[in-house]
Amino acid sequence: MKKYFILASLVLLGVIIAFPLFSMTYYTMVRTSTPDFCATCHEIKPAVVAWRSSTHVNNAQGFVADCMDCHLPAPYKTFDFFFAKTYHGAKDVVKHFLIKEYDLNKNREAAYDSFDNAQCQKCHRNLLTMPGKRGAMLAHRSVIYARPGYEKKCVDCHYDLVHNESVSIIYKQYRRLPYQAKGLRKL
Amino acid sequence: MKQKFLFIAVGLLTVGLVLSGAVPSVNAQPNFPKVKEYRIERSIPPEAVACIECHKAANPGIFDDWARSRHANAGITCLDCHLAQPGDTDVAKGHEKYYSRKDLPYGEQKYKVPIAAIVTPKDCSRCHPDEVIQYSKSKHANTIEIMWKLDSWLNKGMNSDNERKTGCFNCHGTVIKLDKNGTMDPATWPNVGVGRLNVDGSKGSCTSCHTRHRFSVAEARMPEACDQCHLGPDHPQIEIYNESKHGTMYHAYKDEYNFNAAPGTWTPGTDYRAPTCAACHMSGSGKVMGTHDVTERLSWETQAPLTVRPQDFKPFPSGTDWKVEREKMKNVCRACHGDSWINDFYDGFDKAVEDYNEVYFKPAKAKFDELYEKELLDKTKFFDERLEVEFYELWHHEGRRARMGVMMMAPDYAWWHGFYECKLRFVKFTEEANHLIETGEKAYVAKDFPNATGDTQKPPKIFGNK
Repeated sequence: MKKYFILASLVLLGVIIAFPLFSMTYYTMVRTSTPDFCATCHEIKPAVVAWRSSTHVNNAQGFVADCMDCHLPAPYKTFDFFFAKTYHGAKDVVKHFLIKEYDLNKNREAAYDSFDNAQCQKCHRNLLTMPGKRGAMLAHRSVIYARPGYEKKCVDCHYDLVHNESVSIIYKQYRRLPYQAKGLRKL
Repeated sequence: MKQKFLFIAVGLLTVGLVLSGAVPSVNAQPNFPKVKEYRIERSIPPEAVACIECHKAANPGIFDDWARSRHANAGITCLDCHLAQPGDTDVAKGHEKYYSRKDLPYGEQKYKVPIAAIVTPKDCSRCHPDEVIQYSKSKHANTIEIMWKLDSWLNKGMNSDNERKTGCFNCHGTVIKLDKNGTMDPATWPNVGVGRLNVDGSKGSCTSCHTRHRFSVAEARMPEACDQCHLGPDHPQIEIYNESKHGTMYHAYKDEYNFNAAPGTWTPGTDYRAPTCAACHMSGSGKVMGTHDVTERLSWETQAPLTVRPQDFKPFPSGTDWKVEREKMKNVCRACHGDSWINDFYDGFDKAVEDYNEVYFKPAKAKFDELYEKELLDKTKFFDERLEVEFYELWHHEGRRARMGVMMMAPDYAWWHGFYECKLRFVKFTEEANHLIETGEKAYVAKDFPNATGDTQKPPKIFGNK
């Protein structure tokens, strides 16, 4: 009987310690995962402002792709997600104090390099059947079924899309001209 | 009196009718006896309809070409290639006035879109990325850089800017310049050179081989697509091809060729009997994959002064391994030839390259260097002394004809236009060189060398501000 009591007490103790710990971690994760939080760094703020006027916020579906939807591994890759988030969070704080000036172009390139097609394809999945865009169908085939040696990233052609210098808000549904990829960035 | 009046009235009416009938409507294609029809029956943005309808009247040739193309077939319109983003440097501002021309069909503000006149490989890469990636690695795409690293006409300013624009750069490509209105600088335009440097930074022009606005794969498979540039005394590839067995068979049987086979399916023996330029240098064959890097399968740089392997070609190292590339080329040969035929042919080619290098080029080069060293030749300019021209023609004209003639199996070019001429040139050159060395006499310098006015600055957009 005594044995069960000790066991139960230990479990209870575990819950008492773990519950607030997990709650706080979860709360922290939620709090630090919003675009508003990202914009608290002055280095990142322009990116958030530009994102707000982009089609990743303004579309007829009412869908919003947050910073993390593109810039971090999918949450179902739990370990990768936590690791990447913690690493970047820590690095950004350290860099904030260490570097003199934030090199936008350098960081933009680094971001392009870090993108994985799977991140885009979390949302953009139906890429091969676009009867009105035969050119895009052709190009997407060369990415999804890439010839060895010709693997490409979505962002190789689709860039300056969200964090561009456009001065006005773009609503996807009111786009007058068809959206086109810009062609290979590194040519 | 009354009758006379009636006559005049009828006469005037007739003249009026005839005249009104003779004035073409703006929608018609004025100089085409048979009008190409294009009914817009598929979903096309209204702005693209405006392009089509207006240019159909203004440039019926462009419209007609496009209407017959695979692009029109797939519903790819003017906008898919010519649409720019507002604020792009290449937006043709002059084009915008047409959207307020009430006399034009669709001349209305609501159709106004930013348009770029020049379509670049980067634009093409939106739909054809792999082809553009391959092309961007080729010597075709990088020919301006190669030319400026080698050529004395440019580096010593020995010809004029217009001689370059209309001659050299017509094939090699210009460095496109636009003014702030997006209007092309006439010193750099028109141009569809294979190495053209575009304002978006991409190199080349796909329409060099797939001409506007048909963009045909069939056209690029024909040797006629290459012969605008690959001809003449310095690289007579088309003459060599025409003389070769491959060329003679092509001319005899081209009516039977299926030039329209889908990409990746053009098959030796089935779709064509003897290869064209594209068949060996680009098309897939057996297990060899097709490529838009036209210089990929080379195993010697037969155009260079001293023949070297492509990976050792200093102005533009290929990044390939010549052994791998030769194997690819041999695999192309194997579609129609046995191994002994192929290997023994390459044996002859390698020997010719060695002969040229060791017997002709190296001794001539040593003599040439000696003349400079002893200051019998003047280094300030090139081509203004006869021996400089002689040396240049030895490698740039006859030496290339000999090597390329052997490579592509044209006996007349290998010998009479090639090694035969090399021999005569070599003897003439050495005689004069020895004469100068023995007498210590300085070579005659042409003070009146004509039109040596060209810019000698290497294009900063490629070489930086050096």
